[in-house]
Amino acid sequence: MRHIIAAFLAAALGVTGAACGSPSGPAGSPGATVGTAQDGPAQAPAAPALRVVATTPLVGDVVRVVGGDRVELTVLVPAGTDPHGFEPAPRDAAAIAAADAVFMNGLGIDDYLVPLVTGSGGGARVVVLSDGITPIRLPEGGGHGEAEGTGDDHADEAHPGEGAAPDPHVWWDPANVIVWADAVEQTLAELDPAGAGTYAASAGAYRDELRTLDAWIEAQVATVPMDRRVLVTDHQVMGYFAARYGLAQVGAIVPGYSTLAEPSAGEVAALEDAVRRLGVPAIFVGQTVGPGLAQRVADDTGTRLVFVHAESLGAPGGPAATYVDMMRFNVAAIAGALAAAP
Amino acid sequence: MAELIELVAAPLRYPFVVRALVTASIVGVVCATVGSFVVLRGTAFLGDALSHAILPGVAVGYVLGGGARGPLVLGALAAAIVAALGIGAISRRGGLKEDTAIGIVFAGMFALGIAVISSQRGYAVDLSHILFGNVLGVSRGDLALTAAAGAGIVAVVVLLYKELVLVTFDPVQAATLRLPVARLQTLLLVLTAIAIVVSLQTVGVGLMVAMLVTPAATAFLLTRRLAAMIALGAAVGALSAVAGIYVSYYADVASGAAIVLVCTAVFGVVFVAAPGRGWLWRKRGG
Repeated sequence: MRHIIAAFLAAALGVTGAACGSPSGPAGSPGATVGTAQDGPAQAPAAPALRVVATTPLVGDVVRVVGGDRVELTVLVPAGTDPHGFEPAPRDAAAIAAADAVFMNGLGIDDYLVPLVTGSGGGARVVVLSDGITPIRLPEGGGHGEAEGTGDDHADEAHPGEGAAPDPHVWWDPANVIVWADAVEQTLAELDPAGAGTYAASAGAYRDELRTLDAWIEAQVATVPMDRRVLVTDHQVMGYFAARYGLAQVGAIVPGYSTLAEPSAGEVAALEDAVRRLGVPAIFVGQTVGPGLAQRVADDTGTRLVFVHAESLGAPGGPAATYVDMMRFNVAAIAGALAAAP
Repeated sequence: MAELIELVAAPLRYPFVVRALVTASIVGVVCATVGSFVVLRGTAFLGDALSHAILPGVAVGYVLGGGARGPLVLGALAAAIVAALGIGAISRRGGLKEDTAIGIVFAGMFALGIAVISSQRGYAVDLSHILFGNVLGVSRGDLALTAAAGAGIVAVVVLLYKELVLVTFDPVQAATLRLPVARLQTLLLVLTAIAIVVSLQTVGVGLMVAMLVTPAATAFLLTRRLAAMIALGAAVGALSAVAGIYVSYYADVASGAAIVLVCTAVFGVVFVAAPGRGWLWRKRGG
């Protein structure tokens, strides 16, 4: 009997999740405007109005900024951990069961959490934040940014089977995080109409901050000479960054979107050739990936490794504890390494 | 001919390929050496078990060393030796068969590793990269460690060859000759554990047992003399490793998988066509 109830709950929740998966409902900012009239920011309640779960620290950061004190937030994947391979514990299921809303990154990076989210019971609304974003895919995006006629052959050949997979690392373009903030604001306002004004105010301020960040990044990239705007990374994480700011993603140690893939000897050799040919100044590696192979490639080609926060926020209180701080940290490191004299 | 030379020489321009070839060849030789005893004693499961049993050592090494390579290898080595000693003790004193002891120790240690990892929620590095290894990412230090450990293992096997043979084939006679049977069997387990730890980076945990067993089993089909079996197995292991890296280079497949597939293919050919014992011969004879 319990099994039947559990199955029914899971099925019901699955349907809810599917229905609410795309946050592109007709009620958008109008709802928020109505809310502003009813509710002043001064009326912050003592107890949080909503319980919310975010899958990754980056999603959690956006929810925290928009939701503020009205939202009690649980983030599943801890900061500094690779979101590609995280194992949930029972308390995570408990948090989801008690939640009003679950925000996910989507595009594959946290798909493995879907069974946990749909199977935990409870009536949480599931929102996949990247549903509103047109993803970059490996064949179109990937290593094709280089218009310098270098004819990088290995990016084209690599993994035809994975060609259709979208790049989940959308936050590398602040414009996509604005899409996230919109979706969070809309969902929170629908679930907690009394707080709609608060959410609208904080989301608006955040959008301004993200636009400032965008302009700052553009200025940073402008300090790098054109022929040095090349990115080699541990796996293909910077597609959105490369596309938005006009850099070329020349190659990756692991030619795929997941940290869990493995390169062949031929792929590593092709990458070393490209690094030498283009005089790539640095290889950017994430904090969550063992840098062994990247270190060998750097040693062999005489370039150096530069650490960035590619996958996740840094530790709380550190230099990359929020999304905006993380992007400033990363872009400063990237622009610095590329602009520096060889 | 010139094309063939170019085909062989082209990958050698890359230092990482050269390091991978040397390391994988050493691993092929060392694994076949201890693997011959593993095959003859029928404890292939041991290779699989020991390579998984290192997990708690790797996890503790990571927690203590903050991701430095030294503590990870030491932790793995310590865990593998503890597992080997535990398996030896349980199978001798508990009156249980060795494969049961292997199952108990391997699963217990693997669970401990998962528990340690899950308690450390702030994990910065995905341990699968350590566990699965990558022969293309072998450093000079890793290569030196593999060479030193491999030389030590081969030296011990050569020095104690007669004793190890007797313990493997006829423990009863070994005991009547007053050989320290239990200690020699434990020594074999420890040698296997060390060989596995230093070889892990070549093919990774999942495929480790293949390096241990497949070349030695191939040699077993060709000869019944242990010395010849070890030598043949070492040759098969080393050549498969080299061929596998070339396959990985030209066919764009992961190196560890390529090495094991070549090993498996060689075994398949020998299994079918071995003179005297192969499937074809028996078919013709019978």
